[in-house]
Amino acid sequence: MARDLDVRSDVSSLPRPVPRPRKPVKGNRTGAGRWTPWLYLAPALILLGGLLVYPIYQLGLISFLRYTQAQVSGGQPTAFVGLDNYDALFKDPQFWQVLLTTLLFAGACVVCTLAVGSALAVLLTKVRALPRLLLMFAALGAWATPAVTGSTVWVFLFDSDYGPVDKTLVWLGLTGFQDYSWTYGRYSAFALVLMEIVWCSFPFVMVTLYAGIRAIPAEVLEAAALDGASAWRTWRSVMAPMLRPILLVVTIQSVIWDFKVFGQIYVMTSGGGIAGQNLVLNVYAYQKAFASSEYGLGSAIGVVMLLILLTVTLGYLRLLRRQGEEL
Amino acid sequence: MNRSHRPSRRALPVLLLAAGLAAATACAPSTSSNQGSSSDAKSGTLRVWLFQEVNNAPKQKVVAQAVSEFTKAHSGTKVDVTYIPIATRAEKMKAAFNDPKSAPDVVEFGNTDTAGYVADGGLADISAEFAAWADAKNVTDSVKSSVSVGGKVYGVPWYVGVRALYYRTDVFKSLDLKPPTTQAELITTARKIHAENSQLYGVASGAMNVFGMLPFVWANGGDLATEKSGKYTAAIDSAASRKGVAAYTSLIAKTNCPPAQCAAMGGDAGIQAFASGKSAMAIGGDYSHAAVEAGAVKGKYAVVPLPGLTPGSIAPAFAGGNNLGVMKSTSHRTLAADFTELLGGAAYQQKMFDAMGNMPALSDVQSAVASKTAWEAPFVKTLQSGTKFVPVTPAWSAIDSQAVIPTMMQEIVTGKKSVDQATADAAKKMDAAFASAG
Amino acid sequence: MIRIPYVRIRRPHRLAAEASAVLIALVVAFPLYWMVLSAFKPAGEVQSLHPKPWTLHPSLDSFRRVFWQEDFGRYFLNSLLVAGAVVVLSALAAFLAATAVTRFRFRFRTTVLIMFLVAQMVPVEALTIPLFFLMRDLGDAVPGVGLNTLGSLILVHLAFSLPFAVWMLRGFVRAVPESLEEAAMIDGASRARFLWQVLFPLVLPGLAATSIFSFISTWNDFLFAKSFIISATENSTLPMALLVFFKPDQNDWGGIMAGSTVMTLPVLVFFVLVQRRLVSGLAGAVKG
Repeated sequence: MARDLDVRSDVSSLPRPVPRPRKPVKGNRTGAGRWTPWLYLAPALILLGGLLVYPIYQLGLISFLRYTQAQVSGGQPTAFVGLDNYDALFKDPQFWQVLLTTLLFAGACVVCTLAVGSALAVLLTKVRALPRLLLMFAALGAWATPAVTGSTVWVFLFDSDYGPVDKTLVWLGLTGFQDYSWTYGRYSAFALVLMEIVWCSFPFVMVTLYAGIRAIPAEVLEAAALDGASAWRTWRSVMAPMLRPILLVVTIQSVIWDFKVFGQIYVMTSGGGIAGQNLVLNVYAYQKAFASSEYGLGSAIGVVMLLILLTVTLGYLRLLRRQGEEL
Repeated sequence: MNRSHRPSRRALPVLLLAAGLAAATACAPSTSSNQGSSSDAKSGTLRVWLFQEVNNAPKQKVVAQAVSEFTKAHSGTKVDVTYIPIATRAEKMKAAFNDPKSAPDVVEFGNTDTAGYVADGGLADISAEFAAWADAKNVTDSVKSSVSVGGKVYGVPWYVGVRALYYRTDVFKSLDLKPPTTQAELITTARKIHAENSQLYGVASGAMNVFGMLPFVWANGGDLATEKSGKYTAAIDSAASRKGVAAYTSLIAKTNCPPAQCAAMGGDAGIQAFASGKSAMAIGGDYSHAAVEAGAVKGKYAVVPLPGLTPGSIAPAFAGGNNLGVMKSTSHRTLAADFTELLGGAAYQQKMFDAMGNMPALSDVQSAVASKTAWEAPFVKTLQSGTKFVPVTPAWSAIDSQAVIPTMMQEIVTGKKSVDQATADAAKKMDAAFASAG
Repeated sequence: MIRIPYVRIRRPHRLAAEASAVLIALVVAFPLYWMVLSAFKPAGEVQSLHPKPWTLHPSLDSFRRVFWQEDFGRYFLNSLLVAGAVVVLSALAAFLAATAVTRFRFRFRTTVLIMFLVAQMVPVEALTIPLFFLMRDLGDAVPGVGLNTLGSLILVHLAFSLPFAVWMLRGFVRAVPESLEEAAMIDGASRARFLWQVLFPLVLPGLAATSIFSFISTWNDFLFAKSFIISATENSTLPMALLVFFKPDQNDWGGIMAGSTVMTLPVLVFFVLVQRRLVSGLAGAVKG
């Protein structure tokens, strides 16, 4: 019985219970020592400890100093300024406005990316090989394009003078789009950037969820179809609960990436939009701090961003824990 | 859960926190020191960093000539030239300051970066070598100000770039117009053209084209900032400056270049609009010549200097450009200065013009170029009629990266603020930057 | 063989679904098509008032400017080396770490997991100066990983791709049942043997998924390549070849598009190589 290490048949022939959170057994049955997990963790922890934890600690330290390029290259001495950087930051009304904008924009990006990715993942399961391959390949191309190029091409496509989108819309009869400048209005500019972000982020969601859906037992889906459930109902009551672990990873990753978005906004809105109306936190940080090498202030903003993301993520995880999802 | 673990559970995080705080106050972030090398080797390898152009081959040929001339004159030396993409210059220069071992001896840099690099402590003071240089007499005062900080010289001007007015000869002919000779005429001509043909901008004036706007301010007698004993105060809200700002921003309107299209237009986009036939005029540089020639308007355009207030006057242009400098951390100081003077000398400035079209920074070479190359003439005329520069202070890079001036113009053209309000706010931001830069 | 769930679906619905899939694929691919098209357009057409989705005078000029750059081939190989090393090393380290946090229960397990997440939350620009000095000091101690070396790029990208890889691999490692491990132990297999000869192959498909992420993020990185490779430009990576075309006020749009096309192709090739593993393997991430 144990000789048969053809795992795949093993796995699928096991009786499949209704998925419930599975706890790893306390200790482990294979008699591993107390230090085994730490041994396995060692490469990753050493790498992360040295290359991320230490610099993040430095980040916190620098946020309490006046530390610009002049200090770094020895032109001027470093000075401890306490909470001055944070003070300057919180006293700036633009910071609060940009923070709110970032939260809303990131939220919209996450929701749209997940919606599009999930919908297309479901669509992929309903088509045959050729259309599926076409869509996957197109999606991967979108994913692989460097962010700077994707942004440049998108903003060019929607250019009011040179872009084909406006001209096509007018040709289709929507004359309101004659010479319409997508980047001029605050919300249309955000809409444009949102579209590009969804375009380059949905492949990740789509591919991941597609494979997850394929692993759902056929009986469950057939039962739902026989009961007459609509596609939306099937998704909501049958598929989504079973895909929770995947959705968890995908959502958290999207939240982190979309909150930190920089390149797309910077390129498509020429550095933050008309009179800074399209600034998000990372672009604001670049403008105010990094571009002029004010690392003290930049580090303060970095710390604030980290704390916000940490709060949001921990809150989300706690919510899921209460719903029974095992971490 | 084992109860006996609880007390140690609480103690451990507290201990870690205390240790962390102690460590935090004890440690300091890394810095490097650019104290300047005491050694001055007269032989060895000289490291040179130059900007990499898209079409770099001609530049490389000229520099190779300079290198062979230099190595022949200085036995025992080699010259190692590296070309770096312009888009990476900020990171590379910072890295060079932070790690003197990786730093070059001679470096090409943009003249708006001079003050910042000097404040960072990266460039060497070569006032003595400059004073003794034969070609120094052909460096005009305004060009010299782009290499000087606090009265000391930190580089040799290599080439400059100025802007002038490109205009469509065919459009002007069909509408029976003449190239404008005053600022007011420029505005009325532009409006007339746009009124006749709503698909054509009169003049491509973008709200992000800072160096296109500044001549309007300077022609009216205003300025970005005034300097007194080394300290700068914002002057963009003076009455004269406001006139200039109002004049330029009046062009970003439905009567000429609608805000929807032009509020985010910079210098590059303006020239692109002209080259593709979307605009009848544009404020562009001598360096834009190639792009315009490649466009749809080839053979149908000409260039005149940007006019000032009175007929026949020329609005002072911004003298952008690149310099060659010596790094403070160099251990081959004399050799570096010699190579800088060679590459930046009259002979090689002429060669660089022939190869790349870069306008020389020395006035005698400029005149030679103007007389031989017709299309350069209006640019040389603009240069020699007097140019101006941005405030020579490290605060300028902060003002630039915070987009203070473009934001000011965008606020005006979108109607968010009046000219007075926007200039006042911009002046406040600039003063804050000047104050924090010290 | 894994049973592929067959969802019975009526034919007209399927036709509609397939039509929309193809239409969506076209829309998604259009910007890419535009990028490649612009790379082949002659200089005057790249930004013209009458943009056409085709060109009657395709020209290789832009590509020539890309390939004729000094050291272009060298940059390409450097990028391949760095990305390849990161993919392999992060797979190994992430596999071990994911095994540790999923199949063992120990104090601080949740803390370690959260720490992996936190590592990604900081904006990268904020870390460049501390990392710069870290690399400088590291280079003094260990030759081969300091500034100006490819080793520094490998290290830093390893660090940034590990957190996500660990979180993704958790699901895969969890999917392998405990009973398998017990069975192997009873058979006398050592823990190491189980790890590498049983668990690793089972998780391989999941590694294919995370390797795509690692590859893409390492391949497209501009920031660290700009900051760490200073004087030894022979160690620059491919994005440097693209940056040449960005000149303030004089961008070379044809060159930018051609360079981007050249940068995107290898990623597509990499995907084609791993895609079969990818889709069949991602199923594992849901189980359990």
